[in-house]
Amino acid sequence: MKKLLALLLTGCMMAATLVGCGAKTEAVADADAEVAVEETAEVASDLAYVQEKGVLVVGITDFAPMDYKDEAGEWIGFDADMAKGFAEKLGVEVEFVEIDWDNKILELDGKTVDCIWNGMTLTDEVKAAMDCSNAYCNNAQVVIVPAEKAADYQTVESLEGLAFAVEAGSAGEAEVTALGLNCTPVKAQSDALMEVAAGTSDAAVIDSLMAAAMVGEGTGYADLTYTVGLNSEEYGVGFRKGSDLVAELNAYFVESYAAGTMQTCAETYGVVAALVEQK
Amino acid sequence: MELILEQMPIVLPALNAGFIQTLKLFLVTLVGALPLGLVIAFGAMSRFKPLSLLTKLVIWIVRGTPLMIQLLIIYYFPGLVLDNPIWGSGEKGRFLAASVAFVFNYACYFAEIYRGGIQSVPIGQEEAGLVLGMTKTQIFFRVKLLQMIKRIVPPVSNEIITLVKDTSLSRIIALQEVIWAGQAFMKGTQGISGAIWPLFFTAVYYLIFSGVLTVLLGKLEQKLEYFR
Repeated sequence: MKKLLALLLTGCMMAATLVGCGAKTEAVADADAEVAVEETAEVASDLAYVQEKGVLVVGITDFAPMDYKDEAGEWIGFDADMAKGFAEKLGVEVEFVEIDWDNKILELDGKTVDCIWNGMTLTDEVKAAMDCSNAYCNNAQVVIVPAEKAADYQTVESLEGLAFAVEAGSAGEAEVTALGLNCTPVKAQSDALMEVAAGTSDAAVIDSLMAAAMVGEGTGYADLTYTVGLNSEEYGVGFRKGSDLVAELNAYFVESYAAGTMQTCAETYGVVAALVEQK
Repeated sequence: MELILEQMPIVLPALNAGFIQTLKLFLVTLVGALPLGLVIAFGAMSRFKPLSLLTKLVIWIVRGTPLMIQLLIIYYFPGLVLDNPIWGSGEKGRFLAASVAFVFNYACYFAEIYRGGIQSVPIGQEEAGLVLGMTKTQIFFRVKLLQMIKRIVPPVSNEIITLVKDTSLSRIIALQEVIWAGQAFMKGTQGISGAIWPLFFTAVYYLIFSGVLTVLLGKLEQKLEYFR
């Protein structure tokens, strides 16, 4: 009998807690309602939302030459400079926020950032989760091997039997898996490089733009090099689903390409060869 | 080795800045969680059944789920589900969200330690106090509290040392603490890319800091020794 009573009480408490939670959510929602009334257009227009708060929050990682810090601690790079120009056109301030790349969709949907503008490869996953701008840069996935073995691995066929390290969820992983090669997913492209440097993997697959900046003479990985290019891919900017900022940005790209400012910017950061014509 | 010495002047300030974030989160958590834990402990020991059951349910949820998930929920939930990103996107908002998660999480662990400490004081002392005409409040503050504090120092020290290292979990919501700062040099930042040693070097910061804490907490334990 006592046990039954205890069970009953527990049940009551659970129900009470659940009701309590529900009520709380409603209270918050009510508080929001006031704000939401004047922002009903927000759902329809991301542009209005950004212009109202007066700042475009750009989600980035530290990724030269697209987004990185100069000596003064200011964010520069091809993407950063283009984002500044875009914000200026919208008449808002720009704010760069470093995010965890794994959580980019959470950040975007949770409205802690307004766009992802960081040399993002337009994969099927990305396109399914975000509305993306037109492609503005070409990129390829390249194979990284120790420099002294580079001569042996100049063709796709020669890669068989190597143990690869790739970034989990990256375009590189998709490429390697498609070729049926043996691979270990790691957390980041830089981790994949470390695997090769440490000898725990034979080779890695990373972005060619990143490879150009990070391996070879004068970098932290002087005894690594890149050989075969596996596929070509494109970079784009990601926005929330249904955002009208996509059209705004595409128009801005066309405008600045026609005016030549996009090319000048690309020259500054050495990505001119990868630039995609905007029309 | 030469390369490391060359990179040192750039890496150290970045790691220091990261470690200041780590320290801030550590201090805020302690200042918030130590008192909040006592409140929760009282809730769990309350003779008003619904309150104690509710408190125990909360403790179960908080202790029963990974801190990493709690961080993700607290930071992203308001924007994702309530459509109202209350924390904001900058460093400040991330720090605030992390603080809330850490304070609440650690308060629940402290609450259980406090409860153990309070309940370890023999019931005879309470009975003696009641016979002498003291109120329950008087008995708690004048008889039990100090004895409890003495007894809980070792387990609380243990939690505090764990907290030093747990702060690194906050990188999941992109709070730029010392490990984030160390990893940044692997991806490339401030002209250094592919440097692996800064990440491992962050361990030195944790070691020194937890060493200092161990000494301080040991001293505190000695101070309370007379109370035996």
